[in-house]
This record gives sequence, structure tokens and C-alpha cells, in this order.
Amino acid sequence: MPAKFDLNDSSVVVIIGSGAGGGTLANELAQKGISSVVLEAGKRLEITDFQNDEDAMFGLFTWLDPRTASGSWYVAQTSPDLPAWICKLVGGTTVHWGACALRFQEHEFKTQTRYGSLTGANLLDWPLDLKEIEPYYDRAELKMGVTGTHGIPRLPVSNHGKVLFAGAKKVGYTQFMTTNMAINSVPRDGRASCQQAGFCIQGCTFAAKWSTLYTEIPRAEATGKTEVRPESQVLHIEHDNSGKVTGAVYADRTGAIHRQKARVIAVAGNAIETPRLLLNSSSSMFPGGLANSSGQLGKNYMRHMTSTVFAIFDKPVHMYRGTAQSGIVMDEARFDTRRGFVGGYQMELLPQGLPSFSQNIVPNAWGRDRASIIDNYVNIAGVWLIGEDLARDTNRVTLHPSRKDQYGLPIPNVHSDDHPNDLAMQRHALGQADALYQSIGAKRTVHRLPFPSTHNMGTARMSQNPRDGVVNRWGQAHDIKNLFVSDGSQFTSSGGENPTLTIVALAIRQADYIADQMSHAAL
Amino acid sequence: MKLGSRTRRFSRRGFLARGAAAVAAVTASGGRVVAEAQHVAAAPGGLQSEEVHTLVKFTRDLFPHDRLDDSFYQRAVKPLEEEAAKDGATRQLLMLGVSRLNEWAHQAVGKTYAEVEQEEKRVALIQRIETDPSAPGDFFHKVYSTTIVSLYNQPEIWPKFGYEGPSSAKGGYLDRGFNDLNWL
Repeated sequence: MPAKFDLNDSSVVVIIGSGAGGGTLANELAQKGISSVVLEAGKRLEITDFQNDEDAMFGLFTWLDPRTASGSWYVAQTSPDLPAWICKLVGGTTVHWGACALRFQEHEFKTQTRYGSLTGANLLDWPLDLKEIEPYYDRAELKMGVTGTHGIPRLPVSNHGKVLFAGAKKVGYTQFMTTNMAINSVPRDGRASCQQAGFCIQGCTFAAKWSTLYTEIPRAEATGKTEVRPESQVLHIEHDNSGKVTGAVYADRTGAIHRQKARVIAVAGNAIETPRLLLNSSSSMFPGGLANSSGQLGKNYMRHMTSTVFAIFDKPVHMYRGTAQSGIVMDEARFDTRRGFVGGYQMELLPQGLPSFSQNIVPNAWGRDRASIIDNYVNIAGVWLIGEDLARDTNRVTLHPSRKDQYGLPIPNVHSDDHPNDLAMQRHALGQADALYQSIGAKRTVHRLPFPSTHNMGTARMSQNPRDGVVNRWGQAHDIKNLFVSDGSQFTSSGGENPTLTIVALAIRQADYIADQMSHAAL
Repeated sequence: MKLGSRTRRFSRRGFLARGAAAVAAVTASGGRVVAEAQHVAAAPGGLQSEEVHTLVKFTRDLFPHDRLDDSFYQRAVKPLEEEAAKDGATRQLLMLGVSRLNEWAHQAVGKTYAEVEQEEKRVALIQRIETDPSAPGDFFHKVYSTTIVSLYNQPEIWPKFGYEGPSSAKGGYLDRGFNDLNWL
């Protein structure tokens, strides 16, 4: 039975957001008997609400509250009002994610040490390393049922994967396979196995894909320790004279304002909303925003080097059939500066249905050339290039100086300038993907520079020294001990891997820490 | 879904900065459009059939797929017709745009836009209305951003490009060809 807590119950953990970070944290705490109230800005949908319709689902679950983008990055030119494609519903972006569940590599936790000092970057080592997080990766993989780990069989290879792997083999790559996916290859954990329907990104109608919406959250509720309040947009966090946070003020679906008291607050609103909320919670005691004595809050925004190469063949591929992103080439993920950049990248399948492909393939273009690409839709294969981008203190989420949202609060602006290292990696990746597809007879390749970011990281980063970041090795604010950050905002570096598995691993680890601290009356 | 700007686009015209200026820009150019449009007699109750015909031709020229007959482009233009019937500002914007296209077409070849036979000449007119500072402010963007969605979102066109649409109700592609590729 879902719990029901009083607004004045100050014994609860208040969790803001219900995605990979917040949803996981709620269930992990609930399993330990710790009560929480989850405040989720979006609605609660059910699996039966999912449609195999790209446009309908985009409208149904995307976070479309006003935002702006600035900087030299491509997204600021092509989508100045939609810098990120992330979701607003119970389950957050885990409803939409492609389910690639990759571990970070050892060197990616030590970018300052391994990459050295790079002009224009603000690199820092994580205050934890791979060895320390490995047990939590294990727990995350078992929880999510990640294929290719712990004896869970991999998914079968689709047409789209066959094309990618044939090219990879031809150019001499050796590390290609169906990806480690948080999608059931066999029935598991009360959920069905993948039916190769191809609409992973629109919400899995078979629940074969792990999402907190129908795994962590109902399990948390079943303990009687968790209450999820959908359509509850947190406006600011309050604190007392000692500097501890005391509660969250939020608006419900009618716009009525409520104040939920809290023993601990964990913020997991994604790397744009999390810093925005903390910045919007400034006070006379915390004039630069909560937990911002370092001045790093909102800075070091990372969104991965990304680009997509679509290749046109003269025979059918049907890229839309099958598990969307289950196919990867990992050879370029290594750390090898001989390529002209630090960090590495993955090459992952990226199919699109006809509606989204045709509307986005060449932004703002029209005429015969563009139409000729779409005319070849059935013969097209696509690979997404996703690699590490570097922390920069000038890449940041700030409060807009003049524009306000429906609650009268400043909207976020997302500023990002490509670092020369990002551009060098992008050039290399586009060239390698071209070569891969051309090696097996592609007639033409089309480069699609970044889509709005689904990976958003770094804006409340972990640091050993409180001077360098916002939270410590547990995601606990350096400045406020009962305030936690539980999403990708914590990331000190972006790694070259999709972030969700690491967010889940950190949430499991954070739950252990919160429980331990509570049992010692330290929280 | 179209991931690009849902308001309007500035990059090619470049007359205003993006982002922070977006609200001001829409207001300013909208005002200019309305002022210009007062010189065009607004037909009550929506667009005339000749105007619709021009928009259909224009949309086909934007997204020229020879495999699609005109009915798909007619359907793509429907949302513009419906909006014009309800909203005077949209009607005036579309009328003004069509009238400007025809004016330029007459200057160039002595015909209306839809009568111009050579595609490259119509393409030149589209380029002009997209970029010319004297073009009716939002006309190009309005038609482009509406019809790129309403054309490709018609389930009836999907099979013509080999796209099979919703699959879950059919059990996905597990037994329907997700791995049937054999030409490699």
C-alpha cells in the first residue's frame, strides 16, 4: 500500500524527482524501512498509455516547460528553446531511455590525473574510483537485469545491428556486440522479454525495458514506506537558522502551494532542474543558491560529444525493427591520445521512425536533396556517436535574467561551448563511422550533429575538496549535511558511456549511506 | 516529432540573437506582419481555394517526393487552412505570403507561382521568400514548420517509404523480420 504522509511530518526523506536517481533511491530506502515522499513534477502514466507513435509520445512525456540555450553548440542554433530532450512524468527519463547500461572505465574517474591540465577545461578527479563503485554496479545490473552481465543472455542481433557489425568487422574493429541492455532478453523479475517492437524510446509497451515507473516505484510503494505525489513541482527548498534544510515548497496540479517538511532532502530533477532549484532556493544565508559556497553550482554542465551518421545503402535495412539501441562498437572507447583527443567514444545503434527521421534529419532544410534522403528511408542505417565531453566552468546552467515560468520563477538557460577536444573527437568519430559504413557499400552518409541532450551531467559535481564542487563522495552537499543530490548532476566527469547505470549505482550507494547516517543519528 | 525550434527560426535571417531575444523577436516581427497585412483585403472565413492550391504546390516543392500524389500535400496543408479559418492573423500572414510569391512569380515569368512550370524557378522563389528581408516575416517558417509535421505524420504515407508504423499490437518484430537481412 502506498503510504500517506502528513505535510508536517518532518521524519521523512523528501525526494525530488522519480527517475533513475530519485526512483531508485526511494525504493532502496523503502526496502530498509526508511520513509520518503517523492515529489514528481510530471503526471503518472501507466504502460497502457504508451503508444507506438513518436509524435504523440513526444508531446505526452517530454519536459516542455520553457528553457533557453546559448553558446556555440549546435543545439543552441537548431533547438534554442529545447536544449534537452528529457521527460516530465513519474519514472522520469527512464521511461524514454534507450537502456544502454554501460559501466564507466577506470580512467574516466580520474580525468584530472590522467588527462592533465587542458586549457579551457575544469577537470577534476571523482572522489571515488571504479573499484569502489564496482559492487554497486553489480547491484544495479542485477536490479535492472542488464544483458551480458551476471549470466543474463544478450539480446539477439537485429538487421540494423548486422549492418553495424559487418562494417565494424570490415574496418578491423573487434569489440562489437549487442549492447549491455537493461531490457529483458528472457522473462525476468516479473516482466516480459523483448519483442523487438522498436519503440523503446516511446515507452516500452511490454515492460521489457527497466524503468522506475513500473519497477522501483511500485516496489517502494508496496512497502508502505513511500508516497509518490505526481504533478508536484518543487519551487524552492527551505532551511533553518542552523543551515539545515527543513522542507520543500511545491505547487500541485491546481497551482496550490504546499510545504512538505523533511528530515533529509534528495534532489534528483536532472542536471538542468537540480541546479535551477538550488539556485532558486537562495536566501540571506545562502545568497548564491543552496550548497554553492564553491561557486560551482550549475557549472561544468556536460552533455556528451554526440553526433549521428546515417548511411544509405541500396538494399533494405528496416532500421526501425527491433530493440532500438541494442548494438555497439566499443573499440574507440579507449583512452588513447594518439587520435588527437583525450577520452573516448562509443558507437551505438540509433534508429528512428519515419516521422522523427524525416522531421529532423537536416534541420531547416528543404528541397530535392533532403527529400532524396527520406526517399531512401528503408535502406538507411544509423549510428550514434557518444563520447566524453569535458567539464568547463563556463558551460553552465543559469537562471534566465528576465524570463519566468508559470510559477513566476526564472527559467533555466543552458550554455555550452564546444571544447576543441570535443570537436576533435567529433571529427574523428564522424570519419570512423563514415569509413565503417562505406566499407560495406554505403552509397552516401549523412551527418546529423547533436540532437537536444538526453544525457545531462555535472552541474552539482562531486569533489573531495569542498572548494571544487557541490557534493561529497556520497552526493551529500558539502555545505548542508541533510541535503543530497541523487542524479547525474553529481558526475565529476561525463565518461564516454550512457549515464543511467552510473546514476542507479550511485543511488544505491547513497541509500546505504543515508541509512547508515540515520542509524547513527548523524542525519 | 520535430526537435527543432518550436517558436520560430532566426539563423538564416540572423537579424536577431537567439534565446533571450525570442519573445521580443516574435512580438516585433508579428507587429510588422500585421501592419503589412492591412494592405491585403482579408477574406472572411478562411483561405480561398487558389491560395490553398498555391500552398499545396509550395509544400510539394519544400518536400518533393514523386511517389506521393497531391492528396498527401493537400492533407499536409489542412492544419494551415484550419488555423487560418479561426485566426485572422494567420489568415493574413498566409494570404500575404501567397500574394508575395505570386507577385515575384509575375515579375520573373509572368505567371502565378503555381503556374510556373520549371521547378528550379519555383525553388528560386522559395529561396527568396525564405531569406528576403522584404518577405512577410513568418510566412516561410509558418508553412515549413507546420507542414513538415503534418506531411510525415500521415500514417498513410508511411508504407510508401517502407515504414511499418506501430508494431506492438502485432507482437513486435520478433517473428516478423527484425533479423531477416541477408544481403551482407
